[in-house]
Amino acid sequence: MNGEAIVKVEGVGKSFGATRALDGVSCEFRRGEITALVGANGAGKSTLIKIICGYYEDYEGDIMVAGNRARFQSTKDAYKNGIQTVHQSINQGVVQNMTVAENLALEYLLSDECRFFVDNGEILARARAIAEPMGLGDMDLGRKVEDLSQSERQLLVIARAIASDPALLILDEPTSSISERETEILFEKLAMLRDRGVAILYVSHRLHEITRIADRVYAMRDGRISSMLEKPFHVKQIVTAMVGTVKEKLDRACGAASCAEPSLELRDLVVEEGNRPLNLTVRRGEVLGITGLIGAGKTELAEVLFGIRKPVSGSVLIDGVERSFDSIRDAIDAGVHLVPEDRANNAVVNDFSIRHNITVPFLRDYSSFGMMRRGRERKRAEELVSSIGVKCSGESADIDSLSGGNQQKVVVARWLVRDFKVLILDEPFQGVDIKSRRDIGEYIRANTGAGSAIVLATDLDEIIEIADRIVVMNSGMIAGEQGADAIDRDLLLHWTSQRPEELVQERA
Amino acid sequence: MQRNDKVQKAMIRYGFVVVMAVMIAIFGIAQPVFLTWSNMFSILLGVTVYAILALGETFPLVINGMDLSIGATSALSVMIASYSMVVLRLSGVWAFVFCMALGALIGLCNGLLIVKVKIPDLLTTLGMMFLVQGVQLIPSGGRSIGNGMVLPNGETASGVFDPGFKFLGQGRFFGLIPVPVLFMFLIAVIVFIVLSLTRWGRTFYAIGGNSEAARLAGANVNRYRIMAYVISGSIAAFAGVILAARIGRGDVSSGGTLLMDAVGSALIGYAVLGVQKPNPFGTIVGAIFLGVLMNGLTMLNLPYYWQDFIKGCVLVAALAFTFGLSKKKK
Repeated sequence: MNGEAIVKVEGVGKSFGATRALDGVSCEFRRGEITALVGANGAGKSTLIKIICGYYEDYEGDIMVAGNRARFQSTKDAYKNGIQTVHQSINQGVVQNMTVAENLALEYLLSDECRFFVDNGEILARARAIAEPMGLGDMDLGRKVEDLSQSERQLLVIARAIASDPALLILDEPTSSISERETEILFEKLAMLRDRGVAILYVSHRLHEITRIADRVYAMRDGRISSMLEKPFHVKQIVTAMVGTVKEKLDRACGAASCAEPSLELRDLVVEEGNRPLNLTVRRGEVLGITGLIGAGKTELAEVLFGIRKPVSGSVLIDGVERSFDSIRDAIDAGVHLVPEDRANNAVVNDFSIRHNITVPFLRDYSSFGMMRRGRERKRAEELVSSIGVKCSGESADIDSLSGGNQQKVVVARWLVRDFKVLILDEPFQGVDIKSRRDIGEYIRANTGAGSAIVLATDLDEIIEIADRIVVMNSGMIAGEQGADAIDRDLLLHWTSQRPEELVQERA
Repeated sequence: MQRNDKVQKAMIRYGFVVVMAVMIAIFGIAQPVFLTWSNMFSILLGVTVYAILALGETFPLVINGMDLSIGATSALSVMIASYSMVVLRLSGVWAFVFCMALGALIGLCNGLLIVKVKIPDLLTTLGMMFLVQGVQLIPSGGRSIGNGMVLPNGETASGVFDPGFKFLGQGRFFGLIPVPVLFMFLIAVIVFIVLSLTRWGRTFYAIGGNSEAARLAGANVNRYRIMAYVISGSIAAFAGVILAARIGRGDVSSGGTLLMDAVGSALIGYAVLGVQKPNPFGTIVGAIFLGVLMNGLTMLNLPYYWQDFIKGCVLVAALAFTFGLSKKKK
C-alpha cells in the first residue's frame, strides 16, 4: 500500500492574464510519505495547491486521484475525494466567536447529522476525540477562539483537518506562526499520520524543518518543478534548486562595530511588571538580532521602543540622550522606525501604489503647506525601489501586483525614506522567499548609516544570516548573547528553550 | 481571454459615462425641452443640496465609515436658521454661525461615540439621526417656521429671512449661474484638493485602505476618524443653510429623502471611471446622474410615486456594476 501514488499531477498549467503561473507541472504524492514543496514567493506553489484542492477549475493538464482522472468543481469536491487542506491564513479556517469545541466539531455542527436542537454534550465529546490525539487535551474547550493565540488556532485547524482521516493532507506553511515546542508536537503527529499511510504535502520556507521530516522534496521555480530531491537532503542543495545560486557568506564588517558610539542603550528597562530589568547596548552600524520563542518578550520590547507601550521603569537612550515616547509619531520623529510583523495586516495599504505605500509615514517631508509635492515623492520612491531591488513594472504599480517578497521590500523601503537612528524589524522574513530575504538582509546591512538595526525573529537561521550579534530573550529576560564570529547553535537553542526558573538561577 | 480582459476593463472605466450619455440622448430626443440651458440649470439647482451632502459623506466613506445623520443634520440646520432669524430676529450671519457650529458639534459627537465609546459607525449615526430629527421639532413645537407663525407661548413670530442669507440660496451670478450651483462646484474642488492633493487626504485614504498600517506609520487614526465625521456634519449643516435660503422658511419636512439621495450619489460615484473608491468627482457626477434621470423621467410624465423605486434600481445596479465586475477581475 505505502509508496503508491494517491494523487498525481500531470502536466498542469495555468495562466492569469498574461502571466504564466504554472507550466507543465507534474508531480505525485504517495501514501505514507511526506512530500515537501519549496520555492521562492511567486514560484507557483500557491497556485499548484489551489488547483489540487479544487479552488481553480480552469487549468490545463490532469489531476489523478487513485488512478482516476478527477476534475474538481469546488474545494468541497476535493474534500470528498480525501484531499484536506490547511491554508496559511488560519483565521479563515476558524469561526472567531465560537468556542474551541464548536470549532473542532464544526463539520458535525454544519452537517445534517446535527439535529435542530444542538446537543452540547455531543459536541464536547466529538471535540475531545479530535483534540486529544493532537495533544490538545489540556486546552480549555469552552474558550472562545478569538481569545486563543495564533499558534493555538493553528493547532486547532490542523487537528480538525487530521480528524477527517484524509488521503492527502496539504499543509501550507503550518509552522509560520507557532513556536518550536508546538512544531515538535506537529511533527510527531505528522510522522504518526505518515505511518498510518496518509500522503502529506508540506509547504514551508523553513528548509531545516523540511530536511528533518520530508521524504521527498519538489523545488519549484518560475512556475515549473525545477527538481525533485530524495533523502538525504542538504539545505544547500534545496536552496540551489530554488534560487539557482547561493551566495556563500554575507560580507560582514565585524569588529568595527564594537568600538563605535552607542546608538541605543537600555538601562534597567522593565518592560512588564514582574520582569527583570534589561540592559543592552547597540552600537552604530551594528545589526543586532534578537531571537526567542513567541512570548519571550521581543514584541513587547519593540512596542516600548516604538512608543506603543509605556515601560514600567528604567530608561531608553538614543545616541546618548534619554527618550520616552507618548505616541508612535514621537518615536518616528525621534528616528525610531519599525517594520511590523505580519505585513498583510500591519503594513501594506492594499489599494495604494508602491510609491504611496513607501511614503506613508513621511508625508510631511514630501509636502509643503499640506500639499503633496508629487515630483519629489516620485523621485524618492524611484530611488528606493531601484536600490532595494523591487521587481515591479514601475513605482506607480499597485502593491497588490507584487509577490510577497517584493511587497516586503516595499515595506522595508518605507522605513528607509528618512535616515533612522534605530530601525527595528519584527519578523521581517515571514513568508518571504530566500532571494528577497538575502536582498533585504544585505540592503539593511549596507544602509545602517549612523544608526543601528535590530532584527527580531524566532527563526535562528534568519537571525544568524543577518546579525552581527545575537541576543536570546526568554521569559522577558536576556538569556544570553553571542557575536556572529563565534556562533554556537546548541548554546543558542539552550538559552531559547530554558525554563524561566533555571534562567533566573543561572543569572543570579 | 486577453481580449475579454480589455473589454471588461473598458467597461469598468467608461461604462457609466456611456450609460449617462445614452440616457441624456434618449431624453433629448424624446423631449427637446430637456436639452435647453434653462433646464440644465434647473437640474443642477435641483441636485445641489444632496450633492453637497454627498461630498461631505465622502469623508466617512473614505475611512470605511458611514454617516447616516447627515440628512437630519441638514434639516436641523434649516430649522435653526429659520428660528434664529424669524423667531429670535437675529442677523443672517448669526444664523449661519449657529448652523455651522451645530453641524460640527453633531459630527464631533458622532466621532467621539464611534472612536471612544466604540459604537459601530452605522449604529452611532443611525441613533444620532433619530436624535437630531427629534431635536429639530422642539423649538417650534413641531410646526414649520415662517413669518407670522404663532409660537407655543401665544406670540406671533415677527422676524424675516435676512436678504443676504437668502442670496445664498436664491441669488444668481451674472443673472445666470445660481449661487448654490457655484457653491456645489466650489466645495467639490475643495474636497478634491483636500483628498487627492494634500497629505491629510492621503492619510484619510491610507486609513481606509489599512487602518492598522496607517497607525503603525504614525498616523493619529482616531483623530482622523473624528475629523471625518466633523467634516461631514459641517458640510451637511452648510447644505441645510443653502436649502433654508432657497425655500425661505423652516419646513419641518425638508429633510425628506436627502440622506438617501446623498448616499446614493456618493455610492454611484464609485462606478464613475471605475475608480471603485469614494471620490468627489464621481460623487458630483453621481448626483447629476440622479438629477438628470429624475428630471428626464418627470418630463416623460413618469408618476412621482415611481421616483424612489427607480432611484433604488439605479443605485443597486451601479453598486452591482462596481463591485461585481471589479471582484471578478481578481
